[in-house]
Amino acid sequence: MSEKRIISIFKKGNKKRQRVKQVAKFCINDHHDILVEILRRLDGPSLCSAACVCRLWSAVARNDSIWEELCFRQVAPRPSLSLRSVVSALGGYRCLYFVCIRPVLARLPKLLWSRDQLQLSLSLYCVHYYERLYVGAWLSDAPPSSLMFLRKPVNVV
Amino acid sequence: MKRDLHLFQNPKPPITGSSSSSPAPATCGKEKMMMVKEEEDELLAVLGYKVRSSEMAEVALKLEQLETMMGNVQEDGLSHLATDTIHYNPSELYSWLDSMLSELNPSDPMLVSPEIDNNNSFLAGDSSTITSIGGFPASDYDLKAIPGNAIYRRSNQFAIDSSSSSSNQNNNKRLKSCSSPDSMVTSTSNAPLIGTTVTTTTTAAAAESTRAVILVDSQENGVRLVHALMACAEAIQKNNLSLAEALVKQIGFLAVSQSGAMRKVALYFAEALARRIYRLSPPKNQIDLSLSDTLQMHFYETCPYLKFAHFTANQAILEAFEGKKRVHVIDFSMNQGLQWPALMQALAVREGGPPIFRLTGIGPPSMDNTDHLHEVGCKLAQLADAINVKFEYRGFVANSLADLDATMLEIRSTEIESVAVNSVFDLHKLLGRPGAIEKVLGVVKQIKPVIFTVVEQESNHNGPVFLDRFTESLHYYSTLFDSLEGAPSSQDKVMSEVYLGKQICNLVACEGPDRVERHETLNQWTNRFGSSGFVPAHLGSNAFKQASMLLALFNGGEGYRVEESNGCLMLGWHTRPLITTSAWKLTAVH
Repeated sequence: MSEKRIISIFKKGNKKRQRVKQVAKFCINDHHDILVEILRRLDGPSLCSAACVCRLWSAVARNDSIWEELCFRQVAPRPSLSLRSVVSALGGYRCLYFVCIRPVLARLPKLLWSRDQLQLSLSLYCVHYYERLYVGAWLSDAPPSSLMFLRKPVNVV
Repeated sequence: MKRDLHLFQNPKPPITGSSSSSPAPATCGKEKMMMVKEEEDELLAVLGYKVRSSEMAEVALKLEQLETMMGNVQEDGLSHLATDTIHYNPSELYSWLDSMLSELNPSDPMLVSPEIDNNNSFLAGDSSTITSIGGFPASDYDLKAIPGNAIYRRSNQFAIDSSSSSSNQNNNKRLKSCSSPDSMVTSTSNAPLIGTTVTTTTTAAAAESTRAVILVDSQENGVRLVHALMACAEAIQKNNLSLAEALVKQIGFLAVSQSGAMRKVALYFAEALARRIYRLSPPKNQIDLSLSDTLQMHFYETCPYLKFAHFTANQAILEAFEGKKRVHVIDFSMNQGLQWPALMQALAVREGGPPIFRLTGIGPPSMDNTDHLHEVGCKLAQLADAINVKFEYRGFVANSLADLDATMLEIRSTEIESVAVNSVFDLHKLLGRPGAIEKVLGVVKQIKPVIFTVVEQESNHNGPVFLDRFTESLHYYSTLFDSLEGAPSSQDKVMSEVYLGKQICNLVACEGPDRVERHETLNQWTNRFGSSGFVPAHLGSNAFKQASMLLALFNGGEGYRVEESNGCLMLGWHTRPLITTSAWKLTAVH
C-alpha cells in the first residue's frame, strides 16, 4: 500500500474525524508502460537525465523503443521495420544514439536531421560494429575505433 | 644500459691508438652496403650516426638518467613510455616526447660535455672522450647536444641493430668533405628510419637554446629547407651525387629546426633522398601484411580520406545496384574489408529488402601463413548474418592484379547477377609494369560490371623526369601532412604518418618496377579509361551530401573540401584536391 494511504487511514483513526478523501494515489513507478510513453516524448538530454534518476527508471529507459523514437523523431518518412531489426542486430538504438547520433549532433548542432544524416550515422555505426568483431586481433592493445574522430580530442600533452 | 653497450662493442676488433685517418677495412667486410669506404661514413653521417663508440658510455649515462626520470614520473602521458609500444619511426615521437619532457623538467640541467680530447683513440675501454677528426671541431659531433631528452626506445633499437650493421667504428673517420654554411648548426640531425635497418641517434632540439650557435629564424629556415630539398633533387637529377649528399645533410639539420608538418615531411623526404643517393632501397616486403594493414587501419581512423573513398564508392555502387536481386562485388583492394559493412547495411535497409550479396576479395599474399582474406571473409559473414543479408564470399590471393583472369572469378551471367568492381588506391601500382594496366582493364571489361569505382590520389607522380615527380610529391604530401595536423596527437596519428612516409620513400627512392606509387591525375585516368572503352558514370548528389557531412564531422572539418569535377568527387585540403573518387561504366557497344 502506498504511504499516503496508510497516513490517511491513520488520520481516519484520529479523534478529529476529518473527512479525508480516500483517493488511491497514483505512483508512476507502478505503471511502467505509462512511464515508457512519457519517456518516449523526451528529448535527448532530458532522457539521459531521466535514466539517471533511480534504478527502476534506468532499467525502464533501456527499452529500445524509447531511443528509437528519439533517433527518428525528426526523420520523415518513418523508416521501415527492417531497419529496426538491423539496428538491434548491430547493438540497438540506445547504443546508436550514444555512439553516433549524439556526437554528430554535438559536432554539428545546427544540423537538420534528415534521412541522409541518419543513413550516415548508421553506416558509421555498422563500421563500428564490424571493427569490434576484430578486437583482440590487432597488434596494438587498444581496440580499433573508427568513431574516434567523433569524440572530443583530449589533450595528451 | 651497460649491457647494450657491451652488445655494441662486441663486433669490433680492438683498435687502440690508431689515428682517425686510418680506415678499418677489416671490419668493413661485414658491411651490408657495398659502398666505397669513404662514402660509408657519409652515409652514416647522413643517416644520423653521429655517435662513436667512445661516446656510447656517455649515451648510456644519459639514457640512464632519462630512465630514472621517466620512472619517477607517474603521469599517464609518460608512464606509457615504459611499456612496450611499437614505434616505427622514432623521429615522430620525438617532438611529442620532447615537449612532454621539457614541460616536465624544464630545468633539466644540460649534462656536462666530456672533455674534448684530441686523442684519437677510440674503443679505448670505456673512455668517454670525444675524438676529433683531423682538426674538425668536435663540437659538431659531441654528445653535449644530447641531454635527458634522449629517447629510450630509439637507443634500444640502436643497440640491437648495431650488431647487425656493425659499422660504428667507421664513425670516427668522418671526412667532412662538404662545408655548408649551416654546419655551424649544433643539433644533430635526425633522419627518420623505418623498419629494422639503421637507426638514428638522439636529437636535441632543446640543445639549440643553450648553445651559442643557434638556428634562430625558423621561418627563414623553412624557406631554406624547401630550397635545399629542391636543390638536392635537382642535383640528383643532374647526377651530381656529391652535391646531393652535402645537401641532404643540410636538409637534415634544417628539418629539425622546424616543427609540425613541415618537419615531418622534410624528414621523410630527406630519408628518401638519402636512400636514393646511396642506393639503399627500402627493404621489400620487410613489413608484413598485417603490419601494413594496421598502418592503413590507423590511417583510416585518423583522417577522412579512406572513409570518404569508401562512402562515396559505396554510394555509387548502391545506386547502380538499385532493383537488382543478386549482386556481386569484386574488390581489388580488400585489406580489412572496411568498405563493405557500410554497403551491406545500406543494402539491408533498402526498400525491397536486401539482395543476395556476393563478395570476391583480392589481396596480396601474407608473410605468415595465415589466410588473411579468409579471416576477413569470416568477419564479414558474421556481420551479414547479424543483419540478415545472404552472403557469399571468395578470397583470391594475387601478387599483382595483372595476374588475374576473368575466368577465375566465376562471373555469372549478367541477367542473373549484377557485378561491381572496386579499386581503392590500387590501380596506380600497375603502372610500373608495361602492359599490366591494359590487361587489368581488359579483365574488367570481360567481367561486364554495371559500375567500376576507382579511388586514386590526385597528383601526377609518374612523370618521366625525377625532379618533376619530386616537386609534385613534395607539394602533395606537404598538404596531406598539413591536414593531419588537425587530428589529435596519438599513436593513430603517428602510424598514419608512417603509412604516408612509406609511400614517400617508395616514390622518391625507388625506380623501375619497384616504384609502385605511381599516382596519376584524374585527367590522365580519364584518358586511359576512355581509350579502353569506359565512360564516366556521374556520382549523384547523395554521394556529395554524404561526403560533405562526413567531412564536417572531422576535427578541422573546415579545411576539407569536397568538389565535384565532371561527375567525380574530389576531396581536398583547402584549395588542393587530394583524392578523387570516380565511377565508370562500359560504353553501350560492349
